[in-house]
Amino acid sequence: MTEQKPIDEMSFREAMTELEGIVTLLESNTLELEDSLKNYERGVALLASLQKRLSAADQQVEVLVGELAFHGSDEEQDTTLS
Amino acid sequence: MKVSDFSAPAAAPTADESLAQAAGHVGAPEPLSVSEFLNSFNKSFKRFPFTIKGEVSEVNAKAGYRAVYFTLKDASASLSCLMWNERYQRMGAPLSVGMVIEVKGHLSVYASKGRMNFDVESYTLAGEGNLRLQVDQLARKLEAEGLMAPERKRPLPAYPLTIGVVTSPRGSAVHDVLRTLRRQFPLAKVLLAGVPVEGPQAPEWLVYGLQMAAYNGAEVIVFGRGGGSFEDLMPFNDERVARAVATCPVPVVTGIGHEPDTTISDMVADLRASTPTAAADAVVPDKGALEGSLTALGGRLSAAMGKSLALHRTQLQRYAFLPLFSEPKRLFDSEALTLDSLSDRLSRALPGALEHNRQQLEGLAGRLARCAGSIAGRQRHSVDQAQAQMQGIAGHLTHRFHAEASLAAARLEDLSPLTILARGYSVTRAPDGSVVKSVAQTAPGESLAISVSDGTITATVTSA
Repeated sequence: MTEQKPIDEMSFREAMTELEGIVTLLESNTLELEDSLKNYERGVALLASLQKRLSAADQQVEVLVGELAFHGSDEEQDTTLS
Repeated sequence: MKVSDFSAPAAAPTADESLAQAAGHVGAPEPLSVSEFLNSFNKSFKRFPFTIKGEVSEVNAKAGYRAVYFTLKDASASLSCLMWNERYQRMGAPLSVGMVIEVKGHLSVYASKGRMNFDVESYTLAGEGNLRLQVDQLARKLEAEGLMAPERKRPLPAYPLTIGVVTSPRGSAVHDVLRTLRRQFPLAKVLLAGVPVEGPQAPEWLVYGLQMAAYNGAEVIVFGRGGGSFEDLMPFNDERVARAVATCPVPVVTGIGHEPDTTISDMVADLRASTPTAAADAVVPDKGALEGSLTALGGRLSAAMGKSLALHRTQLQRYAFLPLFSEPKRLFDSEALTLDSLSDRLSRALPGALEHNRQQLEGLAGRLARCAGSIAGRQRHSVDQAQAQMQGIAGHLTHRFHAEASLAAARLEDLSPLTILARGYSVTRAPDGSVVKSVAQTAPGESLAISVSDGTITATVTSA
């Protein structure tokens, strides 16, 4: 694990991939205690970031072409869905 | 049945000749044989093609036949038709009873039976049927090019951070898609290309929308529209649109119309979903499942760390219980014993050696005196001799003694407690003068004399 990228600068996919790698590495039980702890710390930070991103994100919609008319909130929509 | 007879050239006059013959012999016509008549008839009618519209009934397309036989009818009439296999197969859309078609062809008579048929050169499906035929034909063409091959279908990105949506900005489909994306994977950015999906311009707009979405960085594109009639969905059957989907640099997921609708865009897409909402669902990970897998990863992370800690702890404890660490003094046990025994031997050896030397000296002195006494009683002349002899012996003795003494002194020096003390050892004595060799020999409050190299320290025992 050379030169760790700041988690804020990582994409969701990158963070997810690194987290999976760390878990696998830790589970392999081949690390020095200090390295285990370092990896664990990094894993926890990645996990927290991922969970936060997933729950707190506000979807960004960029209209490239055309004009999007407002169509009511999700709740209003749900009642009209067939 | 020898259907080939229909087109077999006969050794008969050409149609032109026979017609001229007929015209030139008015009044006295040469009768024609049946074969001649039918041959000239067939040749003439080949030049009068008709287009006829009707409904297909009774299709007969058995394997082994060289033509397909069917009947075309309307409310009050019916017409026997045949179509040569190679022409029929080129059409792409097989005939079935009930189809309304327009056939192009000419009349011909099957000479050996005298039965008249309409020889169909081509047909198109009338109305919507025509559209379907075109769609089928385009589908065959693109399939032949390999655009629908399963190996062309690309996997979708697991966590797309930019999702293109190409659909109409009006209507509920776009909102169904946006809502689904927002609910399932809000951290993805959506690039919306809101384009007309119906009308003559729609295909160009759809192609443009796909290009814009891909150009602006979409990792996957949701492409579709809400439900509509077959004609409404036609832009998604357009060859330009289908090719744009197939050649799109990123995976395209279609959701066009409702479940049973299948367009060519669906067939060439990387994934076909039944509706726009289903297409949106397909491009994003399920939020619940994702949260679940994050929780699982967290659990595995903690478990692995806990296991690693436990492992290291066990290892540490194993070492901690080694005698090396629990009783470190043991390390020097053998040295301590050697030291004790040496010091014991030393203290016993010193006085012994001195005593031995003194006794030796005394013995020698006694013998000397006895020798001197006996010599006095002897003849005088031998006195001098004896004296000289004695002196010689004495000198020799002295000499030897000196040598021995200096050797002893050297050894004494080596063995001297002072030398040992000078090396940093000390000798501790109890008030009664005994050397303290054990804790048991002392008691708190007792004063001890510690001899070091340059003197004696008086110390008081505080604990023992």
